[in-house]
Amino acid sequence: MIKFENLVKKFGDRTILKGISFEVEKGDILFILGTSGTGKSVLLKNIVGLLTPTSGNIWIDGEEVSQYTEEQYLPIRKKCGMVFQHPALFDSLSIFENVAFGLRRHYKLNEDEITKRVKECLSLVNLNDIESKLPQEISYGMQKRVSLARTVAVGPQVLLFDEPTTGLDPVTTNVVNHLILDLSRKLNTTSVVVSHDMHCALEIADKILVLDKGQIVEQGTPEEIRNSQVELVVGFMQEVENHV
Amino acid sequence: MFNTIGNAVFFIGDCTLFVGEVIRLGIKEKPSLHEIAEQTWRVSMQSLSTTALAGFFVGAIMTVQFTMQIQQFGALGYLGGLSTSGTIREIGPLLIAFMLSGKVGAFTSAELGTMKVTEQLDAIRCLGSSPIREIILPRYIAIILSSFFLLAIGLLMSIGGGLLLGMFFSGINHEEYLRHIPTIVAWPSILIGLFKCLVFSIILASICTYRGYTTTGGAKGVGLAVVNTAVATMIGIVIADWLTSYICEALQSYFLGV
Amino acid sequence: MLEVLGSKVLHFNLHFIGVLQLFSQTIIGAVTPPFRIKDIIKQLNFVAVESAPIVVFCVSFAAVVTIIESSFHMKIVVQNDALVPGFAALLILRELGAVVSALLVTSRVGAGFAAEVGSMQITEQVDALKMLGIDPIRFIVVPRFVACVLGGFLLSIIANVVCILCAMLVSQLSLGYTYGSFIMGMKGFVKFQDLVFASIKGASFGAVIPIFSCYYGFKCKAGAEGVGLATTNSVVTTSVAIIVIDFILSYFFSYFY
Repeated sequence: MIKFENLVKKFGDRTILKGISFEVEKGDILFILGTSGTGKSVLLKNIVGLLTPTSGNIWIDGEEVSQYTEEQYLPIRKKCGMVFQHPALFDSLSIFENVAFGLRRHYKLNEDEITKRVKECLSLVNLNDIESKLPQEISYGMQKRVSLARTVAVGPQVLLFDEPTTGLDPVTTNVVNHLILDLSRKLNTTSVVVSHDMHCALEIADKILVLDKGQIVEQGTPEEIRNSQVELVVGFMQEVENHV
Repeated sequence: MFNTIGNAVFFIGDCTLFVGEVIRLGIKEKPSLHEIAEQTWRVSMQSLSTTALAGFFVGAIMTVQFTMQIQQFGALGYLGGLSTSGTIREIGPLLIAFMLSGKVGAFTSAELGTMKVTEQLDAIRCLGSSPIREIILPRYIAIILSSFFLLAIGLLMSIGGGLLLGMFFSGINHEEYLRHIPTIVAWPSILIGLFKCLVFSIILASICTYRGYTTTGGAKGVGLAVVNTAVATMIGIVIADWLTSYICEALQSYFLGV
Repeated sequence: MLEVLGSKVLHFNLHFIGVLQLFSQTIIGAVTPPFRIKDIIKQLNFVAVESAPIVVFCVSFAAVVTIIESSFHMKIVVQNDALVPGFAALLILRELGAVVSALLVTSRVGAGFAAEVGSMQITEQVDALKMLGIDPIRFIVVPRFVACVLGGFLLSIIANVVCILCAMLVSQLSLGYTYGSFIMGMKGFVKFQDLVFASIKGASFGAVIPIFSCYYGFKCKAGAEGVGLATTNSVVTTSVAIIVIDFILSYFFSYFY
């Protein structure tokens, strides 16, 4: 579904990603783990064209997109939905309009259909009767879920999550993590999750990728990661064991 | 030093490219009139009182200053005309535009900068639309329209302020004050004042949307964007003031032979 | 309608009282030891030295416009432009120099202060200062206040001098005055007290800037939005305050001529 080959991204003379290659199969949940500032979010933004790679190739659904222009990217973005680190809800629009935003731009639907779809998506993330509220009027955890609903509404085949649980309390973290799992199964989407939460990665990921200083230091199934000898991964694992 | 100049050149170049992109999109895809009207109303209403207040005091200051100078020649009768003309042609547009660079310019760049750093603009791109078309374009047009409107209101208020101070400070009755306005303030002066307002509003809109759109780096970045916008707008306005005065002077002597 | 007006007045009053409180505390801090000479010099560098190029640049353009416009008006009223040097010099000294430079400093320094203090507020640095037993007003506001008063004073003198020099240059180039005749023309109008008043104006504008920007900085709400709002508010309020104070001072000074 998504394939990276030797991807390099530089900002000025700082190299953030130093040649990343990997592949995600359709329907998989991939977790990208790593400490802060190792280029996880940058990697994610390359997929949807928010950033353009310095060199290397990206295939999405068999299409080479790495040097696409903004306009060529529009159909790709219909396939790939992104959930941002911050909820990034449009604060001048109501929750309803926020969720309907992508629908209005991608499909020609009448108001009834849009209303139906918005309600459907909000109930997917277990939110009801908040359509008319403004983003400031609901809690941070709810904003995050609305942002998830907004992304799902367009009907993407790939869901990208940029640190979905950073800044959330443990209970909400759990809710969001299970939402990710639920949505992926229900909608049969491919998911890429950037996170530093090893605990939940082991629980719900099909495949895990560990990034350090712009390079992949370890990858594999949760089981393989558990038995990894790489120093950084061992550090992450100890953290998980201490928790339990 | 050279670094500063280099930055300035880069800023101007990048800003011009950005505005070119906005205009290209504006011609290609008709911006929604409803959105523009809404933005114009919002920007105008939220800055109206400040601008009117500033305009009033600018007019008042000019009258006080001119009174002191003209009194020496016993030509107080000309006060109304001179102070109004000076305000409309030069001081008024300049100072009121300075005010707007804070009120409208800084506010817009703060707003857009916030949207940028909270990834709202990226979210628009991900939802399959262009932030320039959805957010920037209507604001760009709205800011030009409403700054122009606000500057014109400010100028009107400055005439009012001048008149009031002429009556209370210089002791001229309003008929005397108003009598000489038509003899000195001719149509060219009014047109020049309005032309300046238009040029200033275009500069204001270009810089604040550009700087807001290119904000990076969290809350601190937004603060920096606001500071940069305010400074760059003021410098732009001063230079434009000189250019327009120069051009108008040339046009005037060419067409009217003044 | 009345309710809206009432709440606006109430808000205004609250802000007004807050600013006055901050102002009085700052004054007390500024005249009682310990004096933070090092901080003051650091801020003075930011306020005056780093702003000077922008101020000089803008003021010289303003001078050109002043000359062009004065000659236009002179031609209408007295049919020749013999009085241009005197009038232009007066206009520059009494109004333009101080106000234009103060507004420029507001946008650069004032907005900078508001953003800086605002970031300190939302990252809880201000609270950290309090916990360490340091008075944030004394530590943050006072050095900036002293630096701005001094800086405003110096900048207004620099701005006036540059502006008049530029005016001289332009009137020589476009109106054909020699430097000598420009200065002779000035002499009839300009008195020494004009320069004194101009620098008083500069210093008072300088005093306004840090008070408002720090006030809004301390009130800053969390998030990028909060910092943006604090910065914008401080620029707008300070600019309006400068114009109003300019009016009051001009009115007041007019009794001394």
